[in-house]
Amino acid sequence: MDFILSGLIFTPLLAALFVLLLPIRLQKPMKAVALAGTLVQLALAVWLYLRFDGAAPANGHTGYQFVQKLDWISFSLGSLGRFQIEYFVGVDGVSISMVLLTGIVGVIGVISSWTITRNVKGYFLLYLLLMTSVMGCFLALDFFLFYLFFEFMLLPMYFLIGIWGGPKREYAALKFFIYTLVGSLFILIVMIGLYTSVIDPQATANQLNLQGMATDQNSIRQVQQMLQQGVLSSADLVRTFNIPAMMEPANFIPGSLLHVLSGVTLFDLPIRFVAFLLVFAGFLIKVPSVPVHTWLPDAHVEAPTPISVLLAAILLKVGGYGLIRIVYPIFPDAGAYFSILVGGLGVLSIIYGALCALAMNDLKKLIAYSSVSHMGFVLLGVASLTAEGVNGAIYMMFSHGIISAMLFLVVGVIYDRAHDRMILNFRGLAKRMPAYTAFVVVAFFASLGLPGFSGFIAELLVLLGSFGAPEATGMLPRWLAVVAVFGILLAAAYYLWALQRMFFGKYWIFPELREKANLSDLDFREYLMLVPLAILALLFGIFPHLLLDKIGVAVTGFTELVLLNGQEQLQLVLSSIIP
Amino acid sequence: MEEQAAYLSQSIDRILAGAGSLLPELLLAFFFLVLVTLDLFKSHTLKRLLPWLALTCFFSTLVVQILGGYTSGGVQFLNLLRSDGLARYTGILFSLAGIFTVLLSLQNRRLENLKEGRGEYYGLLLMLVLGLNLMAKSVNLLMVFLAIEVVSIASYILTLTLKNEKRAVEAGLKYVLYGTLSAGVMLYGMSFFYGLTGSLDYTLASFWQALLEASPLMVTLAAILIFAGFLFKISAAPFHFWAPDVYQGAPMPVVALFSTGPKMAGIIVILRFVAAFADPTLAGSFDDILLFLGIAALATLAVGNLTALWQRTPRRLMAFSSVSHAGFLLMALLAFGSNYTTSVLFYMSVLLFMNFGLFLYLQLAEDEWQVQTLEDFRGLGFKSPYAGVLALLFLLSLTGLPPLAGFMGKLLVFSNVWEAYTLSGQELLLALLVVGILLTGVALFYYIKIPYYLFLKRNQTAENLVISLSNKLLLGLFALPLLVLFFKPDLLLHWIERLLAQTL
Repeated sequence: MDFILSGLIFTPLLAALFVLLLPIRLQKPMKAVALAGTLVQLALAVWLYLRFDGAAPANGHTGYQFVQKLDWISFSLGSLGRFQIEYFVGVDGVSISMVLLTGIVGVIGVISSWTITRNVKGYFLLYLLLMTSVMGCFLALDFFLFYLFFEFMLLPMYFLIGIWGGPKREYAALKFFIYTLVGSLFILIVMIGLYTSVIDPQATANQLNLQGMATDQNSIRQVQQMLQQGVLSSADLVRTFNIPAMMEPANFIPGSLLHVLSGVTLFDLPIRFVAFLLVFAGFLIKVPSVPVHTWLPDAHVEAPTPISVLLAAILLKVGGYGLIRIVYPIFPDAGAYFSILVGGLGVLSIIYGALCALAMNDLKKLIAYSSVSHMGFVLLGVASLTAEGVNGAIYMMFSHGIISAMLFLVVGVIYDRAHDRMILNFRGLAKRMPAYTAFVVVAFFASLGLPGFSGFIAELLVLLGSFGAPEATGMLPRWLAVVAVFGILLAAAYYLWALQRMFFGKYWIFPELREKANLSDLDFREYLMLVPLAILALLFGIFPHLLLDKIGVAVTGFTELVLLNGQEQLQLVLSSIIP
Repeated sequence: MEEQAAYLSQSIDRILAGAGSLLPELLLAFFFLVLVTLDLFKSHTLKRLLPWLALTCFFSTLVVQILGGYTSGGVQFLNLLRSDGLARYTGILFSLAGIFTVLLSLQNRRLENLKEGRGEYYGLLLMLVLGLNLMAKSVNLLMVFLAIEVVSIASYILTLTLKNEKRAVEAGLKYVLYGTLSAGVMLYGMSFFYGLTGSLDYTLASFWQALLEASPLMVTLAAILIFAGFLFKISAAPFHFWAPDVYQGAPMPVVALFSTGPKMAGIIVILRFVAAFADPTLAGSFDDILLFLGIAALATLAVGNLTALWQRTPRRLMAFSSVSHAGFLLMALLAFGSNYTTSVLFYMSVLLFMNFGLFLYLQLAEDEWQVQTLEDFRGLGFKSPYAGVLALLFLLSLTGLPPLAGFMGKLLVFSNVWEAYTLSGQELLLALLVVGILLTGVALFYYIKIPYYLFLKRNQTAENLVISLSNKLLLGLFALPLLVLFFKPDLLLHWIERLLAQTL
């Protein structure tokens, strides 16, 4: 049981080892091994999802299930205590949805990769490495471990875009790499700051070998009290990368820079706020939100179809997940202070992304910008800090994962057949490819938030949350929510317009494309990918409690933690900088 | 007369008592003499044996220093050389660097085809490593100067090993000119110190007492003059101008050695010298000098990383990469209050493996595939995937990305600087931290150029490239520690700690 999460993370790695050992000419077996690896990962994810107890109490820094914790790196810093890195994984309501999503999309991606012919071995090796690191990201509860997986996602992605991509692939791959690396360097600065500031109370208690402790809980509390009174000598402190420990202000070493009372300012902002902005910017690039989204359209347009699917469906989610797992719980004070910034960027992304999508002639670019627009809802939902809003944000990540996978697959279908995907080069495709058109309609409607599809639930929850936020949490002004509604309207506009131009009317195709285009309808492999995704979009649209039951408790815990700690710490931070 | 005789015998006694702690240096000197003598004979079989003799020597010093024990007497050599754990650990690194250099040289086509001077080449390698060991042990300014000169003179000649090539001659000349200039400047600075204090032993309390009483401007000036020599040795800005030319002209194994050995030894010299400045009893008196070092570190980081962006050949790229690593090491030195020595040593150990690994790959690329510019790497990754993937590992480790030990090294350095900033609140440290981290992003931009050509560009020629088994094994040997030291850095860190606890 303890090994289930490690199994989830390392199954693709094991499959990758098999692929590595196979000789180059055995391409079919390689694909089979990759499929088997991701199928096992999916099976484990589904099992985990079913066994996950959504009702168990959780409040941010406790309530993780299926936890596995092993010592990894431990080193004495002499007079500065020790530092320790743990292999610490666990799942809660926030991550369970992402784990399930990763499992589903991983399998779909392999099926979609079946047509890869060049360098099959390298492709599937990188693909499986990517799956390992994404899953690891969603399950890691140690910042170092998280960072390891977070950074390790870049490399396979760089090569997957750069080697198997379209004509401008080198440019797109490099842009992706540089943007994300800069983001992760911001996160690195904060990670260093945090681990030099935070202790693991349990390990410190063990180090001190406290006598006469009735329970673990007591010893932890006592260590925290002693720490804050400054009676612990620094040689006894165990510095940690443990994320839940970072969420408790009592674990911060007095006098360290990121302690709420440090009083240190940088550019006239308390240093905790600067740290929040840095790590927020790091994840913002990954989300991506306007104004740091510009790598996304390039990466999507140049990436091969399966990689676009992975990128949109799960890699972007790491950004939103990082906000909920790391940024807000660790810096609730700054989160409360900057909520208007977060929400504002979210609304900006919604509107700007939608307007850009409206202007695109390339179908894939249109969908890339629609991703920017939809991920804006995640920011808005998180910034509202209401239970509805955060539930909606997570629901949006899940639902966007399913629907954007579908969207990129349908673009892939037309591109495979015509080697072109400009909207204006096609007309009346419904006549030639009726089944394909049906799936396009389903995907578009699901994405624009038609009731009955999962996208509707997500947008509804986010909007409810952000409308309610002024009263419930005092976080966002109401006009932000009002503006966000226009995003839905614009989504309807760009999808329906594209549908009308490409699929309806009299059949016509750009003359130069006629010779090489072979517009046959969907084949079995494509049905195999699109049908399950369509069913899932409907399923989670009609029965939202399937997911909400699992995430609800964790979300309530999250909002309570952030709101309570946030207001309290904000007072302390602001009071400490005034001399 | 009798007094003199008594003094003489006393001195000899002291020399003999301290000589035991110099076992590795004595070994190096002995093997050097043997090698030079054997080189006099014309026998070809004998000449073939010379590299293996050098290898044996490096192995024996490696083993001796790993085992330790020779320092048990607890004596230092005439207050000139200190055989503490720091020197012992760096000695191990130098021996490894020596072994790697010989192994690379044995694979180097041009060195193997050398008509004459092979014996001298290996002899000079021994001499250079001897100098490195002395550098790491010196605690007296004059001894520091002598040790640095031993290394420098060996380096000048090694640069010129391939004397038929124009590039090599140009590189050698530039190196000598810059080198003698900076040595002169350094000596000038040392004479100031001697004039101010009447002593060259900077471990003495009286030395610092005298400096406190002297004019601060003079002290700062003298220190800056001395640092000119030190910074030259580690190719830090603004004394790095020799690096690109020498890296372009010298044989690849020598370049690999230059990018590690002298840099490490120079860092240890600075470390020993600067540690005294940071002594709490002297706190604040020498802030100008530390400020100068901080600015030099910033400049080195900036110059190294930003200039590397414009380089077209792998050798020059690596020259600026090594400048930037000098910047990181300098930055690590300034994190007083944290246990920075451990991090410096860890960083250097990692640097050793990644630099030698990458230079071996570059050597292969040059010898076998005639790669001269970065663009010549086009598509080679697919022709020899094994070497290509390992080159990628080395480059990513140089950039400092997980899961490779280069990341661990940088993480430790950055944490120390953060820690030191928390303790002292010096803005300079914060600037170093931020600049260091952001330049890591820039570093990716130029390091990734090689994999970019290797894997993203395609090459139409059909032939597959074959690499000899020994090269494959060597590449693997250099790559393995990078992975191990990422996942279990504490293995090495604990060992370093234990060695450092040994003070004399």
